[in-house]
Amino acid sequence: MKKVIELKNISKYFAKVIANKDVSFDLHEGEVLALLGENGAGKSTIMKILYGLYHQDEGKILINGEETRIDSPKDAMKYGISMIQQHFSLVEAHTVTENIILGHVKGNIDVNECTNKIKELSDKYGFNLNPNSIIRDLSVGERQKVEILKALFQNTEILIMDEPTAVLTPQEITNLMKFIKDFVKGGNSVVFISHKLNEVMEVADNIVIMRNGELVGNVKKTETDEKKLANLMVGRELNQTPTKSISHVVENENVLDMTNVTCVDRDGIKVLNNLSLTVRKGEIFGIAGVSGNGQQELCEAISGVRELVDGKITLLNEDIGSLSVYERIKAGIGYVPSNRHRDAMISDMTIAENMFLKSSFENKWLAGKLIDKEKLNSYTNNKIRDFSIKAHGPDAKAGGLSGGNQQKVILAREVDNGSKLIVLDQPTRGLDLGAINHVHKSIVRESKNGKGILLVSTELSEIFGLCDRIGVIYQGELQGIYSPDELTPEKVGLLMAGWKEEVR
Amino acid sequence: MIDTLATALMMSTPLLYGAISEMFTERSGVMNTSIEGAFLMGAFGGFVGAYISGSLLIGFIFAIISGVLLTFIYGIVTVKYKQHQVVTGTALNILALGLATFLFRVIFGIPVIPLKVTPLQTIAIPLLSKIPFVGPIFFDQNLLTYIMYFIVPASFYVLYKTSYGLIIRSTGENPEAVDVAGVDVNRVRITMLLIAGAFCGIAGAFYSLTILGLFTSSIIGGRGWIAFAICFLGNWRPYGVLFGALAFGLAEAIGIRFMVMEGMVIPNEFFIALPYILTIILTITRNSFNIPAKLGVPYNKE
Amino acid sequence: MINQIKTKFSDPDFKDLVVTNVVAIIAGILISGIMLLLIKINPIEAFSVATASVMSDKYTFAEILVKATPLIFTGLAFAFTYKANLFNIGAQGQFYIGTIVAVAISLSIGDVVPGFIGIIVVMALTIVAGAIYGGLIGLVKAKKGANEFLISMMSTYVAIAFMNFLLRTSLRETRGEYPQTDVIPESMRLPIIWGGTRLHLGFILAVLTAVTLWLILFKTPFGFRVRAVGNNASAAVQAGINSSKTTIITFAISGAMGALAGFLVVNGIQYMVIQGYYAEVGALGIGIAILANGNPIGVIFAALLFGGIQVIGIEMTMRAKTPTSFTYLMLGCVTLFVIISYYFRRVMKINRDKKKLVDGVSK
Repeated sequence: MKKVIELKNISKYFAKVIANKDVSFDLHEGEVLALLGENGAGKSTIMKILYGLYHQDEGKILINGEETRIDSPKDAMKYGISMIQQHFSLVEAHTVTENIILGHVKGNIDVNECTNKIKELSDKYGFNLNPNSIIRDLSVGERQKVEILKALFQNTEILIMDEPTAVLTPQEITNLMKFIKDFVKGGNSVVFISHKLNEVMEVADNIVIMRNGELVGNVKKTETDEKKLANLMVGRELNQTPTKSISHVVENENVLDMTNVTCVDRDGIKVLNNLSLTVRKGEIFGIAGVSGNGQQELCEAISGVRELVDGKITLLNEDIGSLSVYERIKAGIGYVPSNRHRDAMISDMTIAENMFLKSSFENKWLAGKLIDKEKLNSYTNNKIRDFSIKAHGPDAKAGGLSGGNQQKVILAREVDNGSKLIVLDQPTRGLDLGAINHVHKSIVRESKNGKGILLVSTELSEIFGLCDRIGVIYQGELQGIYSPDELTPEKVGLLMAGWKEEVR
Repeated sequence: MIDTLATALMMSTPLLYGAISEMFTERSGVMNTSIEGAFLMGAFGGFVGAYISGSLLIGFIFAIISGVLLTFIYGIVTVKYKQHQVVTGTALNILALGLATFLFRVIFGIPVIPLKVTPLQTIAIPLLSKIPFVGPIFFDQNLLTYIMYFIVPASFYVLYKTSYGLIIRSTGENPEAVDVAGVDVNRVRITMLLIAGAFCGIAGAFYSLTILGLFTSSIIGGRGWIAFAICFLGNWRPYGVLFGALAFGLAEAIGIRFMVMEGMVIPNEFFIALPYILTIILTITRNSFNIPAKLGVPYNKE
Repeated sequence: MINQIKTKFSDPDFKDLVVTNVVAIIAGILISGIMLLLIKINPIEAFSVATASVMSDKYTFAEILVKATPLIFTGLAFAFTYKANLFNIGAQGQFYIGTIVAVAISLSIGDVVPGFIGIIVVMALTIVAGAIYGGLIGLVKAKKGANEFLISMMSTYVAIAFMNFLLRTSLRETRGEYPQTDVIPESMRLPIIWGGTRLHLGFILAVLTAVTLWLILFKTPFGFRVRAVGNNASAAVQAGINSSKTTIITFAISGAMGALAGFLVVNGIQYMVIQGYYAEVGALGIGIAILANGNPIGVIFAALLFGGIQVIGIEMTMRAKTPTSFTYLMLGCVTLFVIISYYFRRVMKINRDKKKLVDGVSK
């Protein structure tokens, strides 16, 4: 097979991390090349360099055997390279057509002609998209189709897809895989960035494995298997999925009781629909589902950020439905949100100040009218020790810590705030294995202390390994509540995609 | 009545030039908070050019250059260096005040009698200006006001019907999408600022070369900010901006009219403050905003 | 103390802050100085004549503190909201509201109430008026999501129109000649604290206020909440902090600062209101707050610098015949360069971090 792209010794340094170090590999005509690695392994960075969004600090790029400088996506497009970003880059307020032709037509826009062309293209691949729809109204799966059409509109030969399946349902994933296989048949190439072993094994011809910004393996699919790939990816034998110890007891008393809870978004569309669940003392209750199906809204309804339209929430039999966020914190609810940078911490402030974030109204940190810095610092120091947070002290800026250590800071705080109930939304997303282990241990420890835990996760292994009961969420509704032994991964997959058991 | 309406149209002309340019820059995601300074630089540059050369055309060219110079600095600091737009604008407005008055002194010394140029004259359009009522209002105006009639539809066309208009609108909504599409986000934004500099320069010179025929350091007196506000009030749409500019022009014309009338029940200052009060009320009461999603946010790749 | 300063300077970020700011200030003055050559004035001579006069004459020297006094307050007005990531650019209007209230109350109670109590009453009422005028901006920001930048800007012009109306009507001087007020009675004037100069008690008040605001911002839970809302409003809301309440109080404090500047000008220096005076005091406050990076203690020093530039500018006009506009040229240049220095500081920090990283790899 002909080499179309050769990456030679590429290095890229950001201010705080080495994103790529001496990475080299080739892409051939007509192949699907998978870039496999954990979050933060540098997969996206190396592809953004190829696409001209970043520029490498060292190394070179060869296209069709010739050394080439790619300064901007415009250069990349000249060579038929397109990249679909993990978080789509679409203008939400504009139509499908406007998004596709952005930057690719000249002068006056003949809307009808463009629309027809896009309609044709869409029909050819069986996408069934209306070119006049506004992006805002489209589902995630449809948005991805718009991104693909954008690439096809430019007659792309090399398509880079960054974690394309992260937000899709299993059925949508099947369709995507089919498209990729069709697309490369015509001599095109695809780079498929993923951290999911099964998908990589399904779709790829060759697999490049990255870890901590470096290349650790480059293998043919036919010569490897999932276990070997996993070892390469994480650098050691995969941990067993965490399990709860036997001494763990679930009491019969409800900590959290949600009855027929309904919430709406800004446009009045239901994001939680008639949802009921209970979390008992000492119980870990898991919420499984494809992200974006109401998980965040569920957590926010409990923490008090989101108002209830209907239904009731009680904490230890006290109605908390009308309490403010602050009153709920005081009542003993801890919350680790999924988007920690946006919702849980203040990067520009110190660790100590972040510890103080939720207790600024309480007198326990005051000496007179002022904040008791010494007391706060010694508390923070204890937390740094207990949670083995890597930082040089309570005055270190939270933003300067690694993702795992930031999450530990938040966890350390919320474990104390949540004296009754701790809500965790995707607490291990983007963390390395060491930090993940630490989070899992803390969750189990707190449940043993008799707290109720609500754990939202898209990682099924986490849900199966830790939880006493599992609720599957789809479009703001619970598909059912199960004990782990009632479920198989296949059944969960179907429930997550919207299939519902008739009678239960 | 006819006089007041004709004056209103004239007074709304510079406001429209400024507000339309603000609309374009804001659609691309940058606020031009140096607008007041750019007006002043235009008024200054225009007067200097016209006085020295004796030609109003050269005056307006000087005005354009002066305005562009200021927004160019603004663009470098806010778009390239990514510094805060409100803060940078404030600094440049002080600088423009210092620079314009200082250079005026450098060029003309301390004149004994105020320097004047002959202002831009009105041109009555044959036939059309003879139409009763409508004629004297719309067709007995100066050239820049006539050009204004075309600016709004032209802006509408550029913004909604051309490829570059789509890029401008997308840059303000989601610059990443524009970057990924192979268009340089910062270049789009700086281009918009430079165009705004030219428009604001003309608008500023309108005060020194069309309305008054002279230059003082207080000649703009907050009108740049009015243009800025009109862009908000016009909801970032060309025809909305037109409506806003006409309303403010009318208020200003009424203010001028009442200034010369004795024994008014309503004080003149009320009419001066009215546009500002209206802006505040409208900003508070309006529910749906068409505000560009990334307005005021510098584009960072890494 | 010296050791403390030494440890501060061993932090490269702090060192960069001081060095780049000093370079920016010098560059700003240098560039505007070069422009003096255009009118055939030797800038070095002009500067030295002016500086010598400031150094040798205590009246002129004290003028620096006098000029700095209202600037500290307008600087604080912007700085306090800046820390909450809000933009009160209406300090000019709040200043005029302050002058109107101060002059009106001083004139009406001056002969009735004993001076000391009278001054306290005037100050209290000025604070209330400013807090309401500023707090309203915070209110519409918090409750209606209105653009506080635009509203505060517009509110300045409303205040100016209101002031002009009063100066034409009820507050107009008894002679009825100019649009200005009568002079307030002597009993209502702030005491001079340095004989033979115009330096009044207000300067001490300004310094104390700045220190108090610093304490509030960095040492109290309320200040913590202000900064939390400013740095990450979303996280603050999730933490149970009522961001609208914080916004309103922040703006009220900010408005009170602007109005206090007006009180000090009326009762400390001018003893009256003149139409359109101190027209740049609000804008300069923004420059000062930026130079101080929003730190209230830093505002004191930045205001002294701006006050110094103003006095030097005046001296240069008197002794070296530079135009009065030269002062604004200097101030504009200095502010602009200070803003640009923020960028270079960031670049320096990124390069330092990167170097550390690359060095770490090669070891």
